[in-house]
Amino acid sequence: MTFDWSVVGQHREALAAATGMTVLLTVTTMAIAVPCGIVVAVLRLYAWAPVRTLATAYVELFRNLPLILVVYWAFYVLPISTGIGLSPFATGLAALALNVTAYNAETFRAGINSIRRGQVEAAMALGMSRVQALRRVVLPQAVRRILPVLASTWVSLFKDTSLVSVIAVSELAYVAMQIRAQSFRVLEMLTAMAAIYWLLGYPQAKLVDWIQRRYAVTE
Amino acid sequence: MSAAPATAPRAMGSGAKIIRYCGVVKRYGTFQALNGVDLDVHAGEVVCLIGPSGSGKSTLLRCTNGLETIDGGDIEFEGATLPRDERPLRAMRRRMGMVFQSFELFPHLTALQNVAEGPRTVLRADSTEANRRASAMLAKVGLSDKAPSYPAALSGGQQQRVAIARALAMEPDVMLFDEPTSALDPETIGEVLSVMKALADEGMTMVVVTHEMTFARRVGDWVAVFDAGRIVEQGPPAQIFDAPTTERTRDFLSHLGWAG
Repeated sequence: MTFDWSVVGQHREALAAATGMTVLLTVTTMAIAVPCGIVVAVLRLYAWAPVRTLATAYVELFRNLPLILVVYWAFYVLPISTGIGLSPFATGLAALALNVTAYNAETFRAGINSIRRGQVEAAMALGMSRVQALRRVVLPQAVRRILPVLASTWVSLFKDTSLVSVIAVSELAYVAMQIRAQSFRVLEMLTAMAAIYWLLGYPQAKLVDWIQRRYAVTE
Repeated sequence: MSAAPATAPRAMGSGAKIIRYCGVVKRYGTFQALNGVDLDVHAGEVVCLIGPSGSGKSTLLRCTNGLETIDGGDIEFEGATLPRDERPLRAMRRRMGMVFQSFELFPHLTALQNVAEGPRTVLRADSTEANRRASAMLAKVGLSDKAPSYPAALSGGQQQRVAIARALAMEPDVMLFDEPTSALDPETIGEVLSVMKALADEGMTMVVVTHEMTFARRVGDWVAVFDAGRIVEQGPPAQIFDAPTTERTRDFLSHLGWAG
């Protein structure tokens, strides 16, 4: 068996662009899923009961569906049932954001619950409203506590963006598979893909570890 | 069992009644935490609430600023019944400072930021004004040099002094202390008590739940003895500590080894 690694070099521009797309998908998904996750978590904890039930239903639905199914569903069923036709990128982004928001909501809920009641009481004793206490006292502490979990979610998401390749979003997995199909260099392309994912994923995980050490709160 | 009436005249009778508790009742499920408490707090007075654990002292304090809602009776603050609605209740809380047993400083903020938080978020002061006020309050409790420190880097006594400064930064009319020294090492209790003494000497109205009998005796103007959700005796410290009129007060004090 002979290896021909030149195929990787020949397609470096396409691979670089695809890597860029993977990073863009990850960043955009998280940029949506963090604030939305906070909103869903707060609704689950404090909202009027029917809204609370809706938020819980949302979380349980998307946490328990395979992501790839959500991707397919958004791509095929959504346009037929609603008439909304999104681009593959927007469809993939929506599926990822729906999924990660559900996970983030659970993470934020756990973080908020871990802050002891006395902190809220101290804030309220100063005359703060519940919203002010949440924003100024509870969330800043909760976010620092759950940073390691958000980091894991981030790294998972970075890899899970590969699932939107099934609807032809030109991210890393999709482009690498296309090149593989055209060049028949299966092992080379899979290895190159693995190397790119790992080399990008590992520093991200380390970066978040560093952020966590930097902003950790000692009590 | 009927609540013993106050037998001695009020030394600080000249001050207006700033807090009035009238027949306050509080239940947790079937547990009767407060069972008809009557007590007046006059402006400029230090009122100490003493009694065994679980007798309702802290509960009464927490009802005072609405952290707990009462199930019966009435609490008046500066002539008005304590509101139930969030918004007017918040306005009233701004005029009552509270100090907790476990400090409850905000661990993600420095000492200065902790003290500036109330003025900034609640009073909407700009950051220069909030920091100026916070610096002044830290100086007042003798902790100017700790302004940039986070709570975790401070001793228990220092944390509690920052917590007092945080409450004072709202310029309250009354200060509520919930066992402020119970979580402290013996060697740091003194520094907190002397800050409280200084505050009392300035004429601050204070309601203090405490197990520090020496403090209640020396600094208190009025002492209320709690047992099983009632005030069993109240009066000036000289009466409570030297000539208690009820068996329950004598029992409680002798359990503490109080020799008069």
